[in-house]
Amino acid sequence: MKISFDRNFDWHLFSLWAILVIFGIFAIITASAAKIGNDIVLKNYYWKQIIWFFISVIVFYLVLKIPLTVIDMLIFPLYIFTVILLIIVLFMPAVNNAHSWLFLGGVRFQPSELAKMVMILLVSKLISKDHISELKMLYKALIGVIIPVTLILLEPDFGTTIIFWGSLVFMLMQAGFPLCYLVLLISPIIGVVFSFNWILFVIASLILIYYYYRERLSWVLIVFSSVLNTFVFFLTPVMWNSLKSYQQNRIITFFNPMHDPLGAGYQVIQAKIAIGSGQVFGKGFLQGSQKNMNFLPEHHTDFIFSVIGEEFGFIGAFLLLFVFYLFFNRIIYLIKVVSKKEYKIAIAGIFSYLLLQTFINIGMNLGVLPTTGVPLPFISYGGSNLLINSFAVAMVLKYSVYKEL
Amino acid sequence: MKLQSKLVIIYRVLLGAIFLLLSVTLFYLQIAKGEHYKEIAERNYVRIRRIEAARGVIYDEKLNPIAENNPSINLYFRPHLIKNKDDMADFVTSYLPISRESIMKSIYDYRFLRFNEVLLYENITYEQMAVISEKLNYFPELFFKVETLRSYTINNHFTGYVGRINSDEYAIYKDNGYKINSLIGKAGIEKYYERILSGKAGYEVIQVDAHGRSLNIFKENLSKEPENGLHLVLNINLDLQKYINKIFPQNIAGAIVVMNPRTGGVLAYSSFPEYDQNIFASPISTEDWVNLRDNPKKPMLDRVINGSYPPGSTFKTVTGSFGLEKGYINSETLLASCIGGLKIGNRFFKCWTSVGHGRTNFVTALKISCDMFFYDLSKYFKIDEFAAFVEKNHLVEKTGIDLPYEKKGFFPTTEWYTKRLGKYYGSHGIKANLSIGQGEVLVTPVQLCAYFSALANDGVWKKPHLLKKAIGDKTLFYEELENNEGVRLPVSIDHIKLLQDGLWQAVNGAGSTGGAARVPGVNVYGKTGSAENAHGTSTHAWFACYAKWEEPELAVVVFLENAGHGGSMAAPIAGKIISYYNKHMRDK
Repeated sequence: MKISFDRNFDWHLFSLWAILVIFGIFAIITASAAKIGNDIVLKNYYWKQIIWFFISVIVFYLVLKIPLTVIDMLIFPLYIFTVILLIIVLFMPAVNNAHSWLFLGGVRFQPSELAKMVMILLVSKLISKDHISELKMLYKALIGVIIPVTLILLEPDFGTTIIFWGSLVFMLMQAGFPLCYLVLLISPIIGVVFSFNWILFVIASLILIYYYYRERLSWVLIVFSSVLNTFVFFLTPVMWNSLKSYQQNRIITFFNPMHDPLGAGYQVIQAKIAIGSGQVFGKGFLQGSQKNMNFLPEHHTDFIFSVIGEEFGFIGAFLLLFVFYLFFNRIIYLIKVVSKKEYKIAIAGIFSYLLLQTFINIGMNLGVLPTTGVPLPFISYGGSNLLINSFAVAMVLKYSVYKEL
Repeated sequence: MKLQSKLVIIYRVLLGAIFLLLSVTLFYLQIAKGEHYKEIAERNYVRIRRIEAARGVIYDEKLNPIAENNPSINLYFRPHLIKNKDDMADFVTSYLPISRESIMKSIYDYRFLRFNEVLLYENITYEQMAVISEKLNYFPELFFKVETLRSYTINNHFTGYVGRINSDEYAIYKDNGYKINSLIGKAGIEKYYERILSGKAGYEVIQVDAHGRSLNIFKENLSKEPENGLHLVLNINLDLQKYINKIFPQNIAGAIVVMNPRTGGVLAYSSFPEYDQNIFASPISTEDWVNLRDNPKKPMLDRVINGSYPPGSTFKTVTGSFGLEKGYINSETLLASCIGGLKIGNRFFKCWTSVGHGRTNFVTALKISCDMFFYDLSKYFKIDEFAAFVEKNHLVEKTGIDLPYEKKGFFPTTEWYTKRLGKYYGSHGIKANLSIGQGEVLVTPVQLCAYFSALANDGVWKKPHLLKKAIGDKTLFYEELENNEGVRLPVSIDHIKLLQDGLWQAVNGAGSTGGAARVPGVNVYGKTGSAENAHGTSTHAWFACYAKWEEPELAVVVFLENAGHGGSMAAPIAGKIISYYNKHMRDK
């Protein structure tokens, strides 16, 4: 089957991808600059990123050229390969207290990045079969996810794990897994979240029960779920008290960075100052004065959005948000128009994992979400990140050739 | 498809909600509150100022300070305030002995850490500070800070010294609150107990503007008091330490260790020649460093734990106890008659006196230090069994004293000989040589002192240690930090008694070799040693002993490098030390 790329290729999405990546290179150039007197010194990050950009373009081209049947055949071996890498990485030296980087010569690589894509491709294949029962769907999806997630949790990389589960929920939803069952599965979280206030917990439980009732869920399930949630509600304080105080502190700091003003809190406050001080028009390219403050180590990676906010102002940062919005909106459009169920599921997985990363990262820069080591897709410095995200976009473009028009 | 369009709506709503939230927050930060944050950014209001913890003082057992903190004026700069780096370098070099290159290197090294405070010069005199201060308003990047300088009240090898943290140490310690300019123990006690001594820095969060108004960025008061380091109280007695420094012979290298046999506490610890470790407190001049490094007597070498030497005749106790334990001899056994030596193979092994000692038993052989007895005894030995026995007497492995970089002793095995010579011949000659502490066997003075302490302590070996306790916010005894239960030597109590008898005879008996260590009113048990070695014409002089009143209270090892005979050189010094202890330190 030969399909002409010229006619069906989604230039729209491709252009948005290119704009984001090129925007990212400029952001990295400015994030690696420091001023001494009137001289500007650059660290060598940006040209590394430019090299990765070209490698990504090559991967893009290859993905589009290789027939889908070949990619299909590669998924399972790739899954095994990824699991092996995830095991090897646990024996690598820790960076920032996590064993998440693989060192090959001078190149660093995060296997968990690859794992995300491989998981999406594998699970979309497993759960896309027609006339498959909900239970079977769930259990197949879990099979694909449980091994990589466990290994990543061992690194430990909490942020990536959240994104894994998030993507899985989206994929199940796209596969036709009933929404009320998904809610049922996720609902014990309210037991944890509201464990400090029983009134809120009761209200939330009643809303859930009403929702289940509306969705005509069987009473057995409703009762079972409510009992389980209540059990979790009572168990959480017990679990919490059994933690050592340093572990409690770590969790408190995760949700409230100000708890650790010298560490996470300092980064957040400095990021807010940097972004806020950019005002409407920003301080200009290379002119940011805050970016050299003490949170410098993550400047070109996790906190790059604050550099953009400072130097390009509200106009620049909002423009970036808008490009991201258009990008994701286009992917939603492609989910709608793509013909095969498997492809829809895969695109939904890719959509959710990129969206979650973007949301978590920018939210953290703006101080509305906890600090986790999640980079901003296409913008943050990092070869494996750019490469895998670009690979994901390439896969979306490949699927989108099969439009039902 | 109903489901499909429903899902697309969910996605769109979710996407819209996320970007609405982000955009509104962005608008709030940059436009609504932009002016506020700009002001903060321009003046850098929010600062976290570090409050250094005071490093613990090191005291001797009577709480006389050995290492203390003195104020020191240091010059720093802030890279981001530099207007003209050449002017700054000209200014600094004209007042302080610092090279232009090193200033430029600091500026370059901190080009990406521009808001840090960078140390330029330490321990500036008041005169220099007065002169520099006059012109300091032309150079806003420069400022003084009063910090502390570690100083040592006595030259010694055990406290070690502190220095600025290097990049390897920083990588290990940065999570414990160390900064790029932090002081850290580089050697000795300062290094070994670094974490106890250093404490933990506190911080102060400053969030007021120029008019003293609170910015209210951090809601609560987030400042934290520093936790000062604990002070260390050592077992060292500074008076005894000073007395030893006084009586140690001039121009001779060597080491003296004094221990309490019952606890393992080290009362005095000297290695000669000494050097003044205060020169490491500020950047050391190249000239000083070269002098120190190239001195042929190696003053930097800590001979107590880092020098290993053939033990000579002091080792005969080990040889004898092995013979007794294996049943090759008993207290009565007389071995071959000493006629001034013994022919082994085609080589004649001389005893130390050519007159000859006749036939002797073990105690007498120890008393007169007859080599013959041990040559003859060694013919029964299997070298690997002997090596294992020596190891169990803690003369091979490190003692585990609370100091870094301790060296091991050495005793050869058949494996070692096979590697070295291709084949082990098992010849009697090799064993004979080892039996009197010559040849390949090496021990450190601290190992020998711990061994003699164990003999004094009826065979219970204690880990030598300098620390008595750490005091401050809490008190920690050495015994809480490290296991000091004591280990039995592989020698039965009867044989220990026999050894003790021999050692007593070797000091107090007629014709003994260690007579110079006698102290009236004290029972001294000791053994001389004169070890031949490849490094000099005369032998290393050893004397290892312990002194007993009702209980053994003191073990002393005196080691003098290439100084001659143990009996004439080392024993008198040990005698003086015991006598000093007897007069000045007992029951006080």
